[in-house]
Amino acid sequence: MAASEKSGPTLIKGGHVLDPAQGIDKIADVLIEDGRISRIGDGPVPADAEIVEATHHHVSPGFIDVHIHAYGTLGFADPDSLGIWQGVTSFVEAGGPGIGTFDEFLALLAGRTVTDLYAGLWLRPMGLIGVNYIEGDARSLMEISIAKWMDAVADHGDVLKYVKIGAFGRYGTGPLKIGKGLSEILGIPAYFHIGEFQEVPPQITTAEAFRVAGAGDMITHLYHGNPGGLLDDDGNVFDFVRDAVARGVLLDVGFGGYNFSWRVAERAFAQDLVPHLISSDLQQHNVTGPVYSLANVMSVMLHLGLTLNEVIERVTIAPARAISIEDRAGSLRPGMPADVTVFRVDDGEVELSDCQLVKRTANRTIVPVMAFKNGVRYETDLAGCRDEKNWFWHVSEDAVPARAAGLDARQREFLAALAKRLEPETWRIESAERLDIYAAINLQDLFHEVRAHAGLPLRDALEAVYASFLASPFTMQIGLFLFRLDKDFAIERLRAVAGASEAVAAE
Amino acid sequence: MSDDWILIDGVHPDTSNFPVRAEFGGEKVVVLRVGDGYRAVQRYFLHQNTDFSRGLVVGDGAMIRCGLHAYTFKLADGNGVNCPGYRIEVYEVIREGERLMGRKVGATGHT
Repeated sequence: MAASEKSGPTLIKGGHVLDPAQGIDKIADVLIEDGRISRIGDGPVPADAEIVEATHHHVSPGFIDVHIHAYGTLGFADPDSLGIWQGVTSFVEAGGPGIGTFDEFLALLAGRTVTDLYAGLWLRPMGLIGVNYIEGDARSLMEISIAKWMDAVADHGDVLKYVKIGAFGRYGTGPLKIGKGLSEILGIPAYFHIGEFQEVPPQITTAEAFRVAGAGDMITHLYHGNPGGLLDDDGNVFDFVRDAVARGVLLDVGFGGYNFSWRVAERAFAQDLVPHLISSDLQQHNVTGPVYSLANVMSVMLHLGLTLNEVIERVTIAPARAISIEDRAGSLRPGMPADVTVFRVDDGEVELSDCQLVKRTANRTIVPVMAFKNGVRYETDLAGCRDEKNWFWHVSEDAVPARAAGLDARQREFLAALAKRLEPETWRIESAERLDIYAAINLQDLFHEVRAHAGLPLRDALEAVYASFLASPFTMQIGLFLFRLDKDFAIERLRAVAGASEAVAAE
Repeated sequence: MSDDWILIDGVHPDTSNFPVRAEFGGEKVVVLRVGDGYRAVQRYFLHQNTDFSRGLVVGDGAMIRCGLHAYTFKLADGNGVNCPGYRIEVYEVIREGERLMGRKVGATGHT
């Protein structure tokens, strides 16, 4: 992977510029100056401009993915691996944190990625509890603090972009109505996940999600093949879907690991039911297939019949407007930050898979080769994301991770205090399906109690714990993280890492 | 040999094409070649009914990874690695002449 050292003037020369926001679809040069788009078309070129040859390539606004997982139970060690290194210049964490863990998300990731990272918070205060645990238990919504949400929007409205709501699970349509009500109070979109596969028998609330969604709200996993889809038994698109589209509800692909079916997508496309937004839902469990990258999902949409221009619109200006960032992303208007993606459209047969591993043979694929972020160039590395260290979340059981050696004395003291505080507690994974969320929240509270007493910054405290257990820099809600560890092992490890400082100090 | 070892029918230690699907004590399993030895796991994982005959043995033979969604399990005890709380059934497998014999890990306390 390589990035240019500076963001001096750059001329992207001779590429086919596609900028649906401005209706541009022609071969033209793009001039970048001071990290911003300076001009599309002919004109004087600064003498010191770097020339990037883009003949036979397309040049578009940087791709935007409104549904990825950078943080938490589904997230990656290096979120940029699915962002800037894959030609995506902005993305949205879709529900990893909730309002109760947003502070952790901000401490760990805000401003830490090259790719602009936004967040949609899950309605449950803890955030997504992962593929392990059934998400649809209304009790896990706990106490939803309206005031805390309002403060978060007031203080971090530049990051917090939607309320993510599961339109499935137990307790009927109540939870999704609570979520919709919350989004109205906050004045930000609701983002509904449709489709159920965890609960047997499934409890389907898809129709109600389409009914309560209003203009600007989004519905993701559009073409999933699980119970609760958009087609009736005869394969026809439900009227409630059409009605929602007519009201201005935005339909999002959210390909995911379980959430895209060729059968459903082909039936829907045949009835002109196409998405407004194209997103990947990249996460640990689908990055090695079938999702791979946003570009792969774009190729799927191309194969289904969208034109290249329509595909680009759905990863540029359409998502920029959907999450209200069109003042800084989504187009190549002069003056905009220079977020640009350069890509090829390759001819040749390629097999594209859905989530049931059903294949279709496509004859065109979209391949990003380069991206610019605020004018800085990044050579694309599509495979880096699939590096096992980046997605294979696992605890280093046999040995303390090497990176724990980098912890300072205050962090080690904190770990010792945390071990002492956790010692009298009991917790245990009793079920693979039902999270004991009370236990996880108790651990979260105890972590914060010890941290506050130690006066340690949140980020330093979180990293001290992660570094004690994880060789790769994954992040996760701290209460959930601790809960997932065997208690005796956790205490022993915390003490071992904490004790290392005493050994050093004694020398 | 104790009584709790059961013949894994229809699998030949040399000529079968591993990983191989088999029946074992009335259960559907997948028998794996791991290093110089063998191991077996339950064939279907409840998560979307994934078939472990499409899985990958990883971590120097210590784990098996679901081919569909990369859920990974320890072959020693079946416990989920990146999906704590999940567990699959794993089976010790030994060679006895031209046959393979197996028994469930955890079922006899001989794990």
